[in-house]
Amino acid sequence: MTATITPPVKTPATDAPPPPRAFGMTFRQRLNKADVKYSPYVYIAPFFVLFGLVGLFPLGYTFVVSLNDWNLLSGPGEWVGLDNFATELTDPFFWNSLFNTVSIFFLSAVPQLIAAVAIAAVLDQNLRAKTFWRMSVLIPYVVTPVAVTLIFSSAFSEKYGLINNILQAVHLGPVDWMTDVFPSHIAIATMVNWRWTGYNALILLAAMQAVPRDIHESAALDGAGQFRRFFSITLPSIRPTMIFVIITATIGGLQIFTEPKLFNPTVSTPGGNDRQYQTTVLYLWDLAFNRQSFGRASAVAWLLFLVIVLFGVLNFLISRRIASTEARVAKKRSTRALARSRAEAELTSGFVPGVSPELAEAHHPTAPTAPSTPATPSAPEENR
Amino acid sequence: MKFSRRTTAGTIAIAGAAAFALLASGCSSSGSAAGTADDPITLTVTTFGTMGLDDLYKQYEEENPGIKIEATNIDTGGNAKTDWQTKQAAGAGLPDVQAVEEGWLSAVMQVSDQFTDLSDYGAKDIADQWVDWKVKQATDANGRIIGYGTDIGPEGLCYNRDLFQAAGLPTDRDEVAALFGGDDATWADYFKVGEQYHAATGKPWYDQSGFIWNAMVNQQPEGYYTADGELNIEDNAKLKELWGELAGGAAAGLSSGQTQWDWGKGKAFTDGSFATFVCPGWMLGVVKGQVEAAGGDASSGWDFANVFPGGPANWGGTFLTVPTSSKHPKEAAALAQWLTEAKQQAAAFTVAGTFPSNIEAQSDPAVTGTNELSTFFNDAPLGSILAERSKGVVAQFKGPDDSVIQEQVFGPSALSLDSGTDGQTAWNNAIDLLNQLVVNK
Repeated sequence: MTATITPPVKTPATDAPPPPRAFGMTFRQRLNKADVKYSPYVYIAPFFVLFGLVGLFPLGYTFVVSLNDWNLLSGPGEWVGLDNFATELTDPFFWNSLFNTVSIFFLSAVPQLIAAVAIAAVLDQNLRAKTFWRMSVLIPYVVTPVAVTLIFSSAFSEKYGLINNILQAVHLGPVDWMTDVFPSHIAIATMVNWRWTGYNALILLAAMQAVPRDIHESAALDGAGQFRRFFSITLPSIRPTMIFVIITATIGGLQIFTEPKLFNPTVSTPGGNDRQYQTTVLYLWDLAFNRQSFGRASAVAWLLFLVIVLFGVLNFLISRRIASTEARVAKKRSTRALARSRAEAELTSGFVPGVSPELAEAHHPTAPTAPSTPATPSAPEENR
Repeated sequence: MKFSRRTTAGTIAIAGAAAFALLASGCSSSGSAAGTADDPITLTVTTFGTMGLDDLYKQYEEENPGIKIEATNIDTGGNAKTDWQTKQAAGAGLPDVQAVEEGWLSAVMQVSDQFTDLSDYGAKDIADQWVDWKVKQATDANGRIIGYGTDIGPEGLCYNRDLFQAAGLPTDRDEVAALFGGDDATWADYFKVGEQYHAATGKPWYDQSGFIWNAMVNQQPEGYYTADGELNIEDNAKLKELWGELAGGAAAGLSSGQTQWDWGKGKAFTDGSFATFVCPGWMLGVVKGQVEAAGGDASSGWDFANVFPGGPANWGGTFLTVPTSSKHPKEAAALAQWLTEAKQQAAAFTVAGTFPSNIEAQSDPAVTGTNELSTFFNDAPLGSILAERSKGVVAQFKGPDDSVIQEQVFGPSALSLDSGTDGQTAWNNAIDLLNQLVVNK
């Protein structure tokens, strides 16, 4: 008992101020603390080290190269500052390549995503031999782009190609797929679409399957048809995946190389005789490996990088807006519906239904599910 | 001071590592001394296309137990160029023996100091075993010989006997040679006979303008560049005159406007689309392949005449070089030398049809004798004709942008001639492209 009464703390307090807690920790304790604090960084370090080596360093090095008059073979020449960028920005072939890239990108990305969503929606249904169908849409992705290009460029061949033969068989004129600007873009976009649509469809399918089935069921009970449910439930729910797919499609679409490179190997200018389908990456390759202007090629690489970032941000903003406007409209609609029903209830009974949940329930049987999925039709009768 | 100290430290480190390596390898002194059967020197060789060297490597390994050969073959010359350029630019990964195509020799010459001067290994003593212009092509501005010649592409004229007969032209190959003027054959003669043919049959005379232009430029003493390395196109009267002749031919309907390297998957060779074709030695195999792809055979009527308009011309050919990065330049040079000796070149010809640059090999029975290819060409003595055609070729100076000019400047313009653009417009377009791509770069 006495021991508890005597205050032992007093002695050290009078001798010296108590040392800060950390100093009192043993080595093991400190190690523990460091472990908790720093080891997560060590775990993720391999990625960042690798990224630094194969991502960041080349990016920086390319920038340094772009500031020099650098011949591919004989190496760095004079330091020219931003001259290479200035040259490229005034070079008609650079702008031509950028136009081609963007044109092919739009011709491929838009139909590709629409088709992918449609295919995913079909695969999302209760089909027989599900796995078979799902695997079949992925097969084009497994084939190497070189093989795809060889087959397609033979099909698109102007004099003896399959497609022109068919066109002529149905009494339509042949199309100069390899000579004209727009047809060649369509031909290349077709190859890209063939390869990537199935891949994107599978990713979107995975997202669609994660949409809770009970939402669909309750919407169906409310009388929402297939299409209504697709546009009001499925699409808004897969928004994050949609953004992912759109952004990867942008990055890939702006870097098309193999398809235009091998589209018509008989011409000596990469990207067609009049550079009618020379994409920016192909232009970059031509600069570096045929014309040996490594510095200018690096400048183009950086410009392309900036363009892709720009497009990525733009796409992100647009795709976010599209999906959220829908949500906003739906939200507005349901609040409006709520207000109207309150007014109705007030008129008929003199009560404010918001206060009495039972009454509100009576008017809006689906109300509880509405907030969780903003796009769900709040009241079936509103739809008609 | 700091720099030198660091170097010393580095040297010590390297020396240490070398000593360690020596210890580790049980003091076998590989490296400088010749390899032995137990500890062979490995030589890496990079070639492309079909060069017919595979069996020769084995033979060399058997005859030289100290040497092991690791060969890489790249599918096309174009891809091999990209491969070489990448490694050259990176400064690492080049093989001990690198095959170089004539088409990108100009790029190689820009960095010719990165290639071993084979004169150090006796190139000058054996230089007369090749046709003289082949050695000149491989000699850089400082007189260093950086490559041993393998094959060459002397050009003769392929013609179709059946089509000639239908047009009332002679069909015998000596008479055909005389028809164009024999040794004095000019392009004017060629287009004149073409017009006769066109008048008689209404059909085109040659497949497309690109190959003709290629031959025209390559046979000049000076092409796109002067011998001093100055770009000389815009005011080059000779080139302009030739371009005019070419444009005249296309305007007269002599060009069939075929897609080069495609020819409708060979169909154009069998359906009488054109009656003559410029044929470097290696092209003979291409013609045979195209005809067969279209279902034809020797009866398709193709023959090979000992004549070429505008004088002797060469298209293509390969060299074996030894990059300075090789650790065994002596052994590599010895291998390259052996591979280009008469016997080996003749052996490669029988396998791959690569016409030898080695004079002795050109008269080797394996080259001059009949084979599948000569049977296809109506038993034409292909080897002897090509040997004749390789005489008097000039080694033209090729500037750094020669291939860009040929492919990207004049390529599209030659093609546009075939689709009806007039000569002056096409020439102006080419000059515009030239200024855009080469002059103002």
